[in-house]
Amino acid sequence: MKDDRVILLVEDNPDDEALTLRALKKHNIANGVVVVRDGAQALDYLFRTGAWAGRDPTERPAVVLLDLRLPKVDGLEVLRRLRSDDRTRVIPVVVLTSSKEESDLSQSYALHANSYIRKPVDFAQFAEAVRQLGLYWLVLNEPPPYS
Amino acid sequence: MRTQEGVVRILDTDTGWDEVTALEDTQRAVLNVLDDFGTEKARLESTQQAVLNILDDLNAEKSKLEEASALLKGEIEERRKAAAQLEAVNKELEAFSYSVSHDLRAPLRAIDGFSLALLEDYTGQLDAQGQDFLHRVRAGVQKMGQLIDDMLQLSRLTRGEIHIAPVNLSAVAREIIEEQRRNDPTRRVEFLCADGLGASGDGRLLRAALSNLLNNAWKFTGKQSETRIEFGTTATEDGPAFFIRDNGAGFDMAYAHKLFGAFQRLHRAEEFPGTGIGLAIVHRIIHRHGGRVWAEGAVGKGAVFYFTLPTSATIREETS
Repeated sequence: MKDDRVILLVEDNPDDEALTLRALKKHNIANGVVVVRDGAQALDYLFRTGAWAGRDPTERPAVVLLDLRLPKVDGLEVLRRLRSDDRTRVIPVVVLTSSKEESDLSQSYALHANSYIRKPVDFAQFAEAVRQLGLYWLVLNEPPPYS
Repeated sequence: MRTQEGVVRILDTDTGWDEVTALEDTQRAVLNVLDDFGTEKARLESTQQAVLNILDDLNAEKSKLEEASALLKGEIEERRKAAAQLEAVNKELEAFSYSVSHDLRAPLRAIDGFSLALLEDYTGQLDAQGQDFLHRVRAGVQKMGQLIDDMLQLSRLTRGEIHIAPVNLSAVAREIIEEQRRNDPTRRVEFLCADGLGASGDGRLLRAALSNLLNNAWKFTGKQSETRIEFGTTATEDGPAFFIRDNGAGFDMAYAHKLFGAFQRLHRAEEFPGTGIGLAIVHRIIHRHGGRVWAEGAVGKGAVFYFTLPTSATIREETS
């Protein structure tokens, strides 16, 4: 796995965070995971504002794992802001959610999410999904050229 | 009066009796005319009275109409309020099922995830019984996850629009059975399906209904050495009805009224697995199409499920 790219995990549920990190670690893709716990923090990280104002601008997430139901700014709003700014428009975003609602799915794709994964109750399935998505976005996918 | 005065004046002068007689005749004629006028006046008065009566009646009619119109306006207003309330309730229900779908799953994922973590990372420290307990925890979680999904499916069926089109039920039924054969290739199942069974309805919903009925038939015949499932139409008291017959475990007619209730089960989970949602889904779908569903059966002698669907599209709209 490449070490120079980070995964931004936007997740407010500490259990889901621990389990996602464990799944990533189990498949040796835990290095460079940045965790933020609400939508406002995610925007601060991505746009280098607030607590993240001093972030190294060359550190760009290879992929954002975005939960939809978040405190302060919800996931769809984070996605909308990401997609409407030239600096972040091309960052791959994988929506992770427990919701099976069709409206969430269609709205996510309408906002150009790259992928939509429903967190299954069966964690083994989720771990497998995390493994595949780590493999795909960190190894197989050619990242968009940053200007 | 002037005529009468004229007559008297004539009488005062030296007029003869002939003239008096003529004058009397004239006077009588004049009095007759006056009489006639009186009759005419009375007639006019009664006509006037009649017209006034009609006007009175019209006024009474008009105020009645005004009352009725006010009543109607009130009713329309009430209905508008009820429709708005219904819409609010629907929205609330939607928000509720969203929250169920999202929030109820999260703790389940934690229970399952950490049980799995224990099984994977601490296997050496757990004896066989400890591991068995954790497997049971995980199985319970799966069951609950399935129940949540089923509940959501049921609630979705009453929301959502229905799109009416001709549906080839025979073709749909054959596809469902073919899928079961692929999933369960060891079973020997004879499927007798009448050709050309069709109805007008929502294709997606009717497929879900048929799939629940046929999968039930498949499931509850699981303990027979020879399985026979039939799909056809038959004449009933309610006119022609579709039926799905199987030679499986059947059920006790004493509990027939419970069959279509949500989460009602007539068999123990060890005998036949399930959450008890399938027939509730069937009931709701058929009901939304304006049809009826009922069942006959006997323990150990199989079951027959009947349902009717409208020939034309008289579909119940339960959504706003």
